[in-house]
Amino acid sequence: MLLRVENIHKSYGAAEILKGVSFDMAPGQSKVIMGPSGTGKSTLLRCINHLTPPDKGRIFVDGEELTAKNLNTMRQKVAFVFQDFNLFTHLRTVENVAIGPRKLRGFGKKAALDLAYKELERVGLSDRADAYPAELSGGQQQRASIARALAMEPKLILFDEPTSALDPELTGEVVSVMNKLASEGMTMLVVSHEIGFARKAADEIIFMEGGKIIEQGPPSQIFNAPQQDRTRAFLNVIEHGDDA
Amino acid sequence: MSAWFDFAIEHLPYVLLGVPTTLGLWVSAMTIGAMLGLVLAWARIYGNRPIYVIATIYVEIFRGTPMLVQMFFIYLGLPEIGIVFDPLTAAVIAIGLNTAAYQAEYLRGAVRSVPMGQMTAARALGMGKFQGFVNIILPQALRRVIPQWSNEAILELKYTSIAYAIGVTEITARAEKIGYETFQFFEVFLLIAAIYVVMTSIVAQLLLLLEKKVSVPGL
Ligand SMILES: Nc1ncnc2c1ncn2[C@@H]1O[C@H](COP(=O)(O)OP(=O)(O)OP(=O)(O)O)[C@@H](O)[C@H]1O
Ligand SMILES: [Mg+2]
Repeated sequence: MLLRVENIHKSYGAAEILKGVSFDMAPGQSKVIMGPSGTGKSTLLRCINHLTPPDKGRIFVDGEELTAKNLNTMRQKVAFVFQDFNLFTHLRTVENVAIGPRKLRGFGKKAALDLAYKELERVGLSDRADAYPAELSGGQQQRASIARALAMEPKLILFDEPTSALDPELTGEVVSVMNKLASEGMTMLVVSHEIGFARKAADEIIFMEGGKIIEQGPPSQIFNAPQQDRTRAFLNVIEHGDDA
Repeated sequence: MSAWFDFAIEHLPYVLLGVPTTLGLWVSAMTIGAMLGLVLAWARIYGNRPIYVIATIYVEIFRGTPMLVQMFFIYLGLPEIGIVFDPLTAAVIAIGLNTAAYQAEYLRGAVRSVPMGQMTAARALGMGKFQGFVNIILPQALRRVIPQWSNEAILELKYTSIAYAIGVTEITARAEKIGYETFQFFEVFLLIAAIYVVMTSIVAQLLLLLEKKVSVPGL
């Protein structure tokens, strides 16, 4: 297994947000996590790379357990794409992508830039390499942040609602980059309500509610024949919300 | 007016000889202040409890007492416990330690104004806290702090004049000496006021250039 999530618990004060979440991912798999707001989807993703350390439970990446000690090296294997991009404001697009290899992977300046240009090309942003983040559209910023993640050559990329801060006409360009990565065999764990991506690229949908996984299975099953009433009700809302 | 020009031209060379002292004092003190200020800002933001408390006490003491008193303490007080400085060194230390407290606070404000997500993204890439600070937070905070830092630099350039009180022959001390020799205090202080204005204006312009040069869209 590339990723093993084992019985993750997390509380904020008295509120138990994650109540024992477990699942595995094989290399090359894409999984989409769905569920109502406040259900702990972001918290779960952040627990997986210890941006928020879990209270209980264990995370294994490629067989190695993530601990407080190996945090920084393990995070290089598990990239994170944020809802609000979080590109480094003071760096040009290409420098945003190059800084990881340069500072963390021991690349020389030239090699890091070469890699950065290559990754920008993968996300279709070569022509914006010299722009600063503030000069990019939201969709371009998100594609740049995906390139920044790719430049770490991670084993796994975590996406936390990568398109939800975008205007609807810009989500397409990000989703198509994600589709492409999935088809190239990148292992991806995506919190998203993008039905298009989920149907096309996901091997499995994980449906969460109240800090637990209540249903999981292939998209065909979840979308066409959900077992749980909760899942069915939620999907009704987002599918019709999308049409509206 | 022309009488003043004659006076100014006659005494200018003697006063100008103090400019290197004034500027040297200023640059040294600002440098000490910047380096120590950076450490203090780091301690106040990321330090554990004891380190935070020490840095906070430092800032409160140096902001809460007059710089002249601090300088007298260093130059006149410390020799009693066997620590002796020459006047220029004492002035550099006093102004440096004082400006460090202010620079630390400005820098701290600038660091805190950098959105949290920047550090989160740095940590998510695999950077440690310190790496994230140096590579991501600091370059942004330094850009944001330039306007306040410029004010502080100009303030301190003028404050170097207090060094005259412990016998550093910078420009104010020289002006006072000419005053007592000629009894033309009006003329001589007008002259050095003009010199300070020229120096502060040049510094302000240079810092403005720097601000423009390093500015980045969106910061
Ligand atoms: N740092 C925090 N401190 C306290 N409570 C928090 C913190 N982060 C999240 N929470 C709470 O944990 C719960 C789950 O939050 P989380 O962001 O994981 O939900 P989510 O499923 O991602 O929701 P959304 O779909 O709105 O993004 C929420 O009730 C939230 O208020
Ligand atoms: Mg969320």
